[in-house]
Amino acid sequence: MWTREKKIGLAMSIILVVSALGYLIVGNFGENLVYFFTPSEVKAFPPDYYHKRVRVGGMVVKGSVKTYPNRLGMTFQLTDGHATIPVTFDGIPPDLFKEGQGAVVEGYWSEEQLFHSNLIMAKHSEDYMPIELKRAGATLPRKDFLKTLVPSEDSR
Amino acid sequence: MISKVVRRLRRFQGWFGGLAAGCLVAGLYLGLLASPPDYYQGEVARIMYIHVPLAHTALLAYTVVFAGSLWYLWKRDPLIDNVCHAAAGLSALFTALALVTGMIWAKPTWNTWWTWDARLTSFALLFFILLGYLMLRTFIDHPEREARYAAVLAIVGFLDLPIIHFSVEWWRTLHQPQSISLRGVSISSGLLIPLVIMSIGMSLLFAYMLILRTQLLYLSRLLETKRGRLLSQFHFSKADP
Amino acid sequence: MTSFYLRWTGVLLVGMLFGGLLYAHYTQHLASLTPEQLLHQMPSGEVRLRGLVKSGSLQGELEQGKAVFELVGERVSVTVQYAGPPPENLRELKTLIVVGRWDPMSNTFYARDLALLPHYGFVTSAYVAGLVPLVIVVFSMARRVNALYEEIKRSTVYQPEATPYVDT
Repeated sequence: MWTREKKIGLAMSIILVVSALGYLIVGNFGENLVYFFTPSEVKAFPPDYYHKRVRVGGMVVKGSVKTYPNRLGMTFQLTDGHATIPVTFDGIPPDLFKEGQGAVVEGYWSEEQLFHSNLIMAKHSEDYMPIELKRAGATLPRKDFLKTLVPSEDSR
Repeated sequence: MISKVVRRLRRFQGWFGGLAAGCLVAGLYLGLLASPPDYYQGEVARIMYIHVPLAHTALLAYTVVFAGSLWYLWKRDPLIDNVCHAAAGLSALFTALALVTGMIWAKPTWNTWWTWDARLTSFALLFFILLGYLMLRTFIDHPEREARYAAVLAIVGFLDLPIIHFSVEWWRTLHQPQSISLRGVSISSGLLIPLVIMSIGMSLLFAYMLILRTQLLYLSRLLETKRGRLLSQFHFSKADP
Repeated sequence: MTSFYLRWTGVLLVGMLFGGLLYAHYTQHLASLTPEQLLHQMPSGEVRLRGLVKSGSLQGELEQGKAVFELVGERVSVTVQYAGPPPENLRELKTLIVVGRWDPMSNTFYARDLALLPHYGFVTSAYVAGLVPLVIVVFSMARRVNALYEEIKRSTVYQPEATPYVDT
């Protein structure tokens, strides 16, 4: 009945589930889970966080996107409503990257108080409607992205 | 003798299959051809009509496993255990498909195939919990013990479901918050109708698949008993002391 | 078993019909010219033009729905004058489709509307990846269940009621 393979298999499946659940409950999930930092947290980075690869999320400030003539890349400001950081980016941003919308950028913070990024991920909101409705000025209930970016003390 | 419940399920399964096919064809027509594109994402938002129904059906299937497991521990009915086993396999399938379609949606919208934010991580975790559940069932030889251990595992794993649902509200994620929540419905009617029809169709398809798979597991068990493979194990021990 | 295969042939036919319909619909939406093709063909009617909005070229009042920019293809670029509803998607370094007419006199493309490049490849692959495995699984399960019923009917050796699990 209990062959060697079955015992190993049983042990493996139990380990799989227990480690999955363990990760869920005690691991880096829950209170400590920070998928991205906010601009306020980045501004308060101690020097040993400089040049470390991190993710920062925030709202792209309206009117802040500056492109270079005849060269790829751009600079823009990212805000969480309290603090704003400048970001410089190389490459072609994703289609849904837009002023006044959320974005999560990957890169590093440096001494000159500038965030260097080479990956932009666009964060879109949860409302969906046809363009005609949008042009007519319709709005649908949605979570205010800026309000979710409350600076937390224990996030590092 | 095939149990009365299973025979009745077989008689009505065609209704589920037919209704599911009807809803899905109507939903696909509305979603892919008749509905307008989204103002912000454009045409690629149409992936919503397949991704969201798959994801919610995966959660529905897991809820069936959870409820069935409680019921099994209470009544110890092997047929209920077959239902749980069937629903778990289907939940794993739907979870995998929801993850794959989600990745295909993420690339053109977020600009990444995968990222370890709370929603994606907790959903991937559901897949591993189900994988563990199915593996556990394969490796225990004793049918009653297999059913009991699996039921306990399914009940513990249910913890992941509220985490999946609220992950986008509790933590900072790349995934957008729920479109249908206490705040209201954030999808305009032209885009909501195909989504609702596809969701109903996908749930019906799951019901149809669940009936099929329950029969499959039940009949295999019946056939095994019939062939006398399990007779020496417990049937004789009961009938001839 | 014949009715089983007839039913699945029906499913296959409906699926193929759907695929054909979608293909026709989407190719029509995707049809667009690159700047090179536009300058080569010089079409007189309304066309759709596809290209990347050149970095540093966008000017005008977007809120009023007026803008001028350069749309870049592989080698050449075309000046586009946009007048229409306030554009939701206009930004530099973004691939767009603009709808309008080419005016060879002023060397300008007059656009009345613009849209994101539709990612139909992603849409199609998501639906194929989502639906094809489901159909295959349903088909194989239905066939297996039918076969099991047949097998049970044939084996008449011994017919107990399905045994409840007994702990030994």
